Amino acid sequence: MIVQLFWLSLVILAAGILIPLITSGFDQRIFRQISLVCTGISSLLLAAVSLVILVTGEITSYTAYQFFPGFTLSFFFDRLAAVFLLIIAMVAGCVAIYSTEYIEYLAGAKRRNLLCAGTALFTLAMVLVVVSANTFSFVLFWELMAAGSFILVMYDYSLGETTKAGIFYFVMTQLSTLFVLLGIITLFVVTGSSAMVPVPDGSSPLVTLAFIALFIGFSIKAGIIPFHKWLPYAHPASPSPISALMSGVMLKIAVYGILRFLLNVFTPELWWGVLILLAGTISAVLGIIYALKEHDVKGMLAYSSIENIGIIFIGIGLSVIFTAYHLTDLATLSLLGALFHSLNHALFKSLLFLTSGSVVHATHTRDIEHMGGLVHRMPWTAVLFFIGAVAISALPPLNGFASEILIYVSFFSSVAVVADPLFKVLLFICLALFALTSALSAACFVKAYGSIFLALPRSPESAVAREVPLAMLIGPAILAAACILVGLFSFQLFSLVGFTLPVPDLLAIGLLLLLMTALAYVVLWFTASHKVRTSGTWGCGTYSQEPVTEYTGHGFSEPIVTIFSPIYMTKKTSTWTFFDRENCIFESGNAEIRLMKIFEEYLYLPVSHAATIAGVRIAKIQNGCLDTYLLYVFVTVITLIVILGWFA
Amino acid sequence: MSADFILYLIINTLIVVLVSPLFVSLVKKVKAWTQGRRGPSVFQTYFTLIKLLKKEVIYATGSSWVMRITPLVNIGALLVAALFVPLAFVPEPVAGIGNIILFLYLLALAKFFMALAGLDAGSSFGGMGSSREMSISAIIEPTTVIVFAALAFVFKSLNIFDMFATSATSGFLSTPTLILIGISLFIILIVETSRIPVDNPETHLELTMIHEGMILEQSGRNLALMELSAAIKLTLLMALLINLIVPFGLITVLSAAGLVAAIILFLIKGSILSVIIGLFESSMAKMRFFRLPSLFAMAFFFSTLIIIIEVFA
Repeated sequence: MIVQLFWLSLVILAAGILIPLITSGFDQRIFRQISLVCTGISSLLLAAVSLVILVTGEITSYTAYQFFPGFTLSFFFDRLAAVFLLIIAMVAGCVAIYSTEYIEYLAGAKRRNLLCAGTALFTLAMVLVVVSANTFSFVLFWELMAAGSFILVMYDYSLGETTKAGIFYFVMTQLSTLFVLLGIITLFVVTGSSAMVPVPDGSSPLVTLAFIALFIGFSIKAGIIPFHKWLPYAHPASPSPISALMSGVMLKIAVYGILRFLLNVFTPELWWGVLILLAGTISAVLGIIYALKEHDVKGMLAYSSIENIGIIFIGIGLSVIFTAYHLTDLATLSLLGALFHSLNHALFKSLLFLTSGSVVHATHTRDIEHMGGLVHRMPWTAVLFFIGAVAISALPPLNGFASEILIYVSFFSSVAVVADPLFKVLLFICLALFALTSALSAACFVKAYGSIFLALPRSPESAVAREVPLAMLIGPAILAAACILVGLFSFQLFSLVGFTLPVPDLLAIGLLLLLMTALAYVVLWFTASHKVRTSGTWGCGTYSQEPVTEYTGHGFSEPIVTIFSPIYMTKKTSTWTFFDRENCIFESGNAEIRLMKIFEEYLYLPVSHAATIAGVRIAKIQNGCLDTYLLYVFVTVITLIVILGWFA
Repeated sequence: MSADFILYLIINTLIVVLVSPLFVSLVKKVKAWTQGRRGPSVFQTYFTLIKLLKKEVIYATGSSWVMRITPLVNIGALLVAALFVPLAFVPEPVAGIGNIILFLYLLALAKFFMALAGLDAGSSFGGMGSSREMSISAIIEPTTVIVFAALAFVFKSLNIFDMFATSATSGFLSTPTLILIGISLFIILIVETSRIPVDNPETHLELTMIHEGMILEQSGRNLALMELSAAIKLTLLMALLINLIVPFGLITVLSAAGLVAAIILFLIKGSILSVIIGLFESSMAKMRFFRLPSLFAMAFFFSTLIIIIEVFA
């Protein structure tokens, strides 16, 4: 049953890829709509499949095709895969609905057909990665996913910014594949098969090498600092629905990868957990600190994704540490926290990307300093973005809080049971930083919401912005409803799949909040005056209020930027010239505050320079002369014969 | 949900709402005395609230629904948070009510809305207040969570009800660590309720203000709600400190006489703490905003030190 439904959804997705490709000669809306409807329907089917697996806990495996002995194309469905299938299905479905309108506003005529096909292809590749039963098909589809997303990022290829982002993304994503491949080949050497089975020898150097390679490969894809730099480039450059898919779903596929290998293949050691925990904590804190500084709305969301992936890694790291200490309950709790946060982040981040796409579409700018006042002009988008902002700031009773509290509870409980004092201190420090992250993310989204939607419009475009059409509201609205419902019913949902967790029942809290607010309203209704008047904002006696007097996004984040200035590494330079020799009479000068791109300047550029130098050296071998190539062939053949003779 | 618990919900909410304005005025009175003034009556906050209810509400032009729902959400969140901190009577916790992390995040929920309302009117005072409030609350958060984790560690529970029940049965200062945790809690109380040296609750239209700047555009019944929420927040954090450090009088089994005694004792202890807060505020000068991070860093290292002592002991 599950397999049949799954096949059906694959076939529909394939139709979604093929139809716009075949008709790519015609710039007609209908073909694009059909493709997106296909993506939507297959998402529904996939969601149904994953829900069935999640509730029943049934494990199904299925071999589709054998290329040659040892290399088969086979699928495997279990609860872990189902969680990620659900993530893909929910986001892809809403993105498809949103795109039906959004895509018609894009420039590019016939290229829009390719965008639809690309969306379906990208979704298909991600689905196939998640259900891959062996490392061979895993890496195959992983590469398909990378290629698909690259095409989508390059949609606006004529813009210089996009080309740069695209190349950056391409290099990083290939690097990721390279490391994943290295890890998988090492595993193949150890186990001699491509099946995802536990490796026999847990702690041999080769297994450790495999883990490190896979960890780096998945970290690059997930955007863990210091491999994060492609996110803030690729997300702003790509169309918004694609950003939503990449940030909401593709990063989670990397999380899936690391979880699959940790749970099914490796027997993790304690220091692996510490490594993952530290990588997660650093990404979480730095991610949100950089997000606060960002004024490109999509760049900010990209940095905030780094933060959230960090939180997910904290959950995974804790789970590994607890497993190593044989604290099964806590390990399960933090693992569930990581998984639940993956789902929740997918929901609210794609909601935020889609609604910010609407805002960018309406105001023609991505700079939040040029927005403002949109709450009156785009009321529905404003409400939807608001729900996303509350959810991502981890405020009860929405879903962001529901998953972060699981990680909090694991931290709080761990302190009492982990015996090693050094580990306790480590856990405390990570807990403090985790708390900082979550408070900073509230500050970040107050700033974002305030600058984008509240007060007076700060640009002419913003003043004449109009609400987007219905389809661009329905897609995000489904995600927003999911954010609220998943949060409220989190306790019940976990009971449904068989976990009773030591966390508060958010439904009760939600009802109490409603009750108390209603109570306050009723009491006021009977006791307070009902007179309401609208009058000008107090401006210290100025004649009229102007947008220029408002607090800007830069101004809002200034205290935090100043407090964390050592982390931002701002470089302040100033030069003066004077008329006289004693430097008394000032002629001219300039002062500059520059944000140093630490990772780019100290990590990425040196590595890329080294690669370029190596490339130049190697290029010398390539001289274009036939005789030289014949010599190479000759030398290679002789060497091979000698080596083979040696070993035979 | 037992009858006891429903009774608890009603009693606790009533005490919080009725008592909170008293503590606020008491702090003001003490500050006035130390400055050589007579100061307003200790019931002044009640009169102010009643006066505000009778006044009309004025909304700034260009403000949105955020401004309109914030006072209600604020009071709602604070009233729910009030259920998490038993003042006089500690029942068995139900449905996770009393979870200390959720308590913290309910306060954050109120703050989130308040900060947005500060930005809504487009006034630079509101923006300034919101920006500072969010910055301060972000950098105090690690300390708060560390202190709460230390509480969870000492009392072996994440639930405030269980903590209170334990402290009530073991009596005054069950462990010496509690003195140190108490000091940290006091710092958190000062920061979270916007008091000197972090913020000045007395000033309006000063560049030093934070919380008052955010609610500058609120008026009438909405301002009353905001003022009441602030008062409730003060009472809750005070109650957390009181019932953990000096829990005597706190009852775990409901009886009419016990309840009355507990309420009276809580009133006395709360009044003493209000006087201490007033004296503490009077003995300090408002700090420059960018000096605050070092104060918070001190509070953080202090709290972490406690925990390390506790961990290695």
